[in-house]
Amino acid sequence: MSLGIAGMGWITPLGAGVDFVWDRLLRGEEAHAEKIAGQCDGQPYSVFRVPDSALASLAPHPRLRRVSLISRFAAAAGLEALANAGVKPDLKIAERTALIFAISNGGVIYTKRFYRDIVESGAQAASPILFPETVFNAPASHLAAILGITGTTYTLVGDGAVGLLAMRMAEEIMANAAIDYCLVVGAEEIDWLLCDAYRRWRLLRSEAPVEPFSEVPKGMILSEGAGAVLLAREGPLKIEGTHAARYRKRTDAETILEQALSELITAENDFVIASANGTFVDQAECRALSGFAPKSVVYTVKPALGESVGASGLWQIIVASQALQHEELPPLLHAPAKIRLRIPSLRMSMGKARGAIVLSCGLNQQIAGLRLGLDG
Amino acid sequence: MTRSAALNGKSHPARVAVVAAGIISPLGCGLAETLESLRAARDCITPVTRFPVDRCRCKTAGQVPDERLILKRNGRRGQRLHRASHMMITALEEALAQDRQFDPDLTVVGTTSGGMSYGEDYYRALHRHDDLRRSPTWIANYPPQKAVIDAQEAFGISAPCEVIANACASGTNAIGHAFECVRSGRYQRILTGGYDALSELVFVGFDSLQASTPEKCRPFDRHRTGMVLGEGAAILALENFEAARARGAAILAEIIGYGISTDNFHLTQPNPSGSGARQAMERALESARLAADAVDYINAHGTATPFNDAAEGKAIGQLFGRVPVSSTKSMMGHSLGAAGAVEAIVCLLALQHQVLPPNINFRAPDEDADLNIVANESQAAFVRTVLSNSFGFGGTNASILMQQFKT
Repeated sequence: MSLGIAGMGWITPLGAGVDFVWDRLLRGEEAHAEKIAGQCDGQPYSVFRVPDSALASLAPHPRLRRVSLISRFAAAAGLEALANAGVKPDLKIAERTALIFAISNGGVIYTKRFYRDIVESGAQAASPILFPETVFNAPASHLAAILGITGTTYTLVGDGAVGLLAMRMAEEIMANAAIDYCLVVGAEEIDWLLCDAYRRWRLLRSEAPVEPFSEVPKGMILSEGAGAVLLAREGPLKIEGTHAARYRKRTDAETILEQALSELITAENDFVIASANGTFVDQAECRALSGFAPKSVVYTVKPALGESVGASGLWQIIVASQALQHEELPPLLHAPAKIRLRIPSLRMSMGKARGAIVLSCGLNQQIAGLRLGLDG
Repeated sequence: MTRSAALNGKSHPARVAVVAAGIISPLGCGLAETLESLRAARDCITPVTRFPVDRCRCKTAGQVPDERLILKRNGRRGQRLHRASHMMITALEEALAQDRQFDPDLTVVGTTSGGMSYGEDYYRALHRHDDLRRSPTWIANYPPQKAVIDAQEAFGISAPCEVIANACASGTNAIGHAFECVRSGRYQRILTGGYDALSELVFVGFDSLQASTPEKCRPFDRHRTGMVLGEGAAILALENFEAARARGAAILAEIIGYGISTDNFHLTQPNPSGSGARQAMERALESARLAADAVDYINAHGTATPFNDAAEGKAIGQLFGRVPVSSTKSMMGHSLGAAGAVEAIVCLLALQHQVLPPNINFRAPDEDADLNIVANESQAAFVRTVLSNSFGFGGTNASILMQQFKT
């Protein structure tokens, strides 16, 4: 079975639109870290937010009237992916299109508001308007309604690897020849509560930047947005393989990542879009990559865009696709001066590369990988 | 083109066997207790004790007593796990005891809220400036995938996991997707199922929508007033039929069809015409290449809300006529992401023991739906093929078909 990427959509803290964001990344730009404060204790956090302008072109839709940001991000990215592919979701196409939504934290803003009302004022104060938006599959449901999808719609939850797991699930679904397209979307929204939780989990850094592959993990900066990939039977970029696994302890992650690499890397010129985000993940990836793929160029987009967890896997795929098609990688920001990996310190030509490996090591024991190749 | 005919271009897709199963629900711990409760038409709805409900309309739920959960596994670490993890461990232990050779390639599980009550503990402590020393435990054990991973770890299973959160259809979606993965030949063995543990946020949520009832849960009854929540976990071990036969595994039943639809009518309400429900059931029949009259029993979604039962009843009546129907949620409540998996096991027991599970608290048929309700008592019957429905928020509808296996 052959699957290709037909279109992509991207909503990020650097703006909206695949080409627009890509140009900014190539120029070595990074998102502006904004300060927010915890509402319970005033604790300050740095986050990468999506600018309001990124949603300016999102057409109004009855389903989007009262929804949370996560649903808007998802709708904007999903619609861009379809437009990018030249696919108009009429009744016939919508019937033969599946939607897989990757999510980790979900609609945290409404969930927090809903529960805050209960804690502060009791159950009788709970809002029947907010509750349905707290459900994990609410964003997928809105997007399915906007696109008119009447068949398979799945929301997949997991850690940072969930985006790549969703791509693998898309492969499984497209084993059915009655499905022509599968739209895979990952999205997240930011709230101080999430920052507080990740801080207590000792995974967050209080100030930007994200420093990938640092000897001592300094923590990540959370971000928000969405990524969407429209899979079809044909496309200039092929999904040539996927891998999914699980690690039991953090110390096992390196071995599991090596297994993924051994399955996915086929040529010396393949480059790797890693998931390094400033946490323990980086050292596991660094050791696996330096041991198993020492000649591969390695890039991570998280210093520029932050860690968007459920959306991050899709963002990595978009980066890999753009790099393959445009034959260059953006500069890797804030990497240590001494590093065991081949990294693009400046914009780097990747003209000889025919394949890219996307690697994702989640914070909650999930690992996934994917191999993208140029058709022909 | 039907979905089954289109499957991977193969004209003869693989058969899919259920080789083991495990369950914990308000009906009991394990298949035997569950069967006994079904036969006895036991009402397992009790007053909620886990959190205050004095300001809710509804004050009851189907609850799993903590003493029935396997709490000692994993030593000290096990003490920190969420009770959803313990439910999953308990269900998985029963399944693996039936087939110790079962080594899955993949795990596909449905849930809606994961370890939600830990999220509540964390937020409440934060909000009230209480002691937050346990917050790392709450946060680490809150994610929906955690209970699945914990259950796998308890038994040394290292398969990757896909956790589907499609609201109340999650469990049936998980089983259906697992079925399609084995059927397509991509996987040989998959662990599948669903879980959900009762939480205040979700309980109050349904109460705020006035979807839950202060009275008895009466699915398909003319005077039904709403649902009652439940909790539980259920696991099914699916395997390529030929592979299972070759290694001499016991085959409990076959899954023969799966249908999914998204009706896009409203975030919380089904299309009143029943079109979404009907489409899911039709697709399951198409997938199984089966005529509607081959179905002997339907385990309905049957939440007892006026909207759901009207739409589902209409769709069932149009497609299946007078096939026996029951909603076992009347006995144990609606366990959301677990419901599809729990009810798949109810269907499995119906096939194995030739019994129609009852729809309790039923008094008067709905004037708008001419259904053959298995009212108030279980019935002995010839049961060869069964259909199980699950419908959820977001307009997600899912149906699976199971068939008796005879050597």
